[in-house]
Amino acid sequence: MKRYLMPGVTIIFLSILLLTVSCASNKGAKQSETIATEDIQITGDQLDEEVLVESKIPTTGFIDASAMESELASIFTDISFDYDSFALKPETKAILDKISETLLNKTALQIMVEGHCDDRGTNEYNLALGQRRAESAKRYLVQLGVSPERIFTISYGEEKPLSTDQNEEAWTENRRDHFMIR
Amino acid sequence: MHKYRILILLFSTLFIFNASNALAKVYIDILSPSSTYFPIVIPKFKKAEGLPDKNNLAEKMSRVITDDLKFTGFFRILDPKAVDSALLDGVTKNKIKWDVLSIIGAEAIVTGRIRIKAQDQITVELRLFDSLQGKFITGKKYGGKTEDYRRIAHKFSNEIFGRLTGEISSFNTKIAFEKKIRSNKDLFLTDYDGANEKKITAYNSLTLSPAWSPDGINIAFTSYKGGNPDLYVKNIFNGNTRKISSKQGINITPAWSPDGDKIALTLSLNNGNSEIYLITVKDRKLERITNNWATDVSPTWSPDSQKIAFVSSRSGNPHIYTLDLKTRKIKRLTYTGKYNTTPSWSPDGKIIAYTGLKNSYNIYIVSTDGLQRNQLTSNQGNNEDPSWSPDSNFLAFSSDRTGQKEIFIMRADGKNQKKITSGRGNKSSPAWSPN
Repeated sequence: MKRYLMPGVTIIFLSILLLTVSCASNKGAKQSETIATEDIQITGDQLDEEVLVESKIPTTGFIDASAMESELASIFTDISFDYDSFALKPETKAILDKISETLLNKTALQIMVEGHCDDRGTNEYNLALGQRRAESAKRYLVQLGVSPERIFTISYGEEKPLSTDQNEEAWTENRRDHFMIR
Repeated sequence: MHKYRILILLFSTLFIFNASNALAKVYIDILSPSSTYFPIVIPKFKKAEGLPDKNNLAEKMSRVITDDLKFTGFFRILDPKAVDSALLDGVTKNKIKWDVLSIIGAEAIVTGRIRIKAQDQITVELRLFDSLQGKFITGKKYGGKTEDYRRIAHKFSNEIFGRLTGEISSFNTKIAFEKKIRSNKDLFLTDYDGANEKKITAYNSLTLSPAWSPDGINIAFTSYKGGNPDLYVKNIFNGNTRKISSKQGINITPAWSPDGDKIALTLSLNNGNSEIYLITVKDRKLERITNNWATDVSPTWSPDSQKIAFVSSRSGNPHIYTLDLKTRKIKRLTYTGKYNTTPSWSPDGKIIAYTGLKNSYNIYIVSTDGLQRNQLTSNQGNNEDPSWSPDSNFLAFSSDRTGQKEIFIMRADGKNQKKITSGRGNKSSPAWSPN
């Protein structure tokens, strides 16, 4: 917090000189009791806000596929992962097969794949893991012929759990890819 | 800037020279683990004439210094009431009754006198004496705003610690952290002891992983405020915020280089495979420094800028590795356990603290050669995300031992674990400011 030091520099300088002089003149004499003075000048931490650049990532307009009142809700269901893994499980591949069919039929649809983790472990590692979970689904869909331009990915790590309980059931529920569409 | 730096350097050199001549005595050897507690007494400060001390600052300031010294674990704080009669006449050398102090066994005494000049202006005289010899060790007179009374007290704690141990201390530092409220997270600042909590971002979004610039002016962080987890740098004094990295995928886990010119960070770009990069703060030039199919994340710099420690799952599980930036040689540092993450390199360069899993998540330290390892927390919930104080004496971390995640501080040997935050919301990812 070097900034705090700046205004006080002159005063510190003077007081140190003072101390030096007084000690020199008292050398060998009784312990002097010179007090160094110091001014504390503090500029407050501010909350002012200036956003200079806006993100170009298209995160607007996506809606939660599983909350829709159409057949899409039953197609875009969450897919689950094992602990600390981003490998697709056989049963989740079946879900992705259906999703790819839908995307190949409805060519105007775009999707956002959200990668999520359970809240065990550290958030930083989980943010990286969540990204890989999202990319695993994207890669599979692209292999099935869906254009990569229609699939966006984002990781939320452990930040958006479906359940905050601390048991195997909750953890399993939280380790997922979730789909948003527009 | 440079002019000032040279001035400071010149005069601090003078000062140290002066100090080493006249005041070379080291009262407490903090490197000797067998050293006993140093008995010190810190009576409630006196009030000089002036306005009434309505907020009881005299007592509060002596309490701040008491708590600072107590937390270090090197002091035995003697009952201040036992010395009331020694200070009846005043706080200066000739007014103190030294015979009273020698009876209670204090080796040092801190005296203070505060004057309320105006409602928002105070001056404080603080002195440290060797009470066995009745000798003046150091004294300072501070003038400042009333609201900065804690900062003034912390400054003198640094002075006391420095004079008694010969080492620097970090009592006047801050800790940045994340707090979750509903589904949003914002960044907050608090003094190292939990006082003066203040919100520093308000984005209505997820804002994560604060990291201090070495000059203590800027904080780098990740925020979803623009949709994607992008990396920003915010000046905490004037509020200016710059976007530093907004690549596709994650832009996370910033760590400032010791010279402040670069930030190490984690990017996944378009394939999801996270790697460590360096980005220049000024013109945002990127350089990749890891290249592996596995997840690489959470860089931390060695204080000499030669190495970076980071987390990699290249062995199958996340472990701590170091990377030599010149030779690009990578060395595995942890072999125990199956989950070791969030390394933090100590400012003195000797130790790396990290989060490890054994039954629950705990804070560990490992020497930089990997040979010595020590567990600092145990049997108290999950403990994560260690961050060093600039003097390398303490660690901040998050713990859920009280039911929700709070920020704790402790000594580097794991002792004196102390919760510094309270109130609603999980708090995590502490980052201790530079001095």
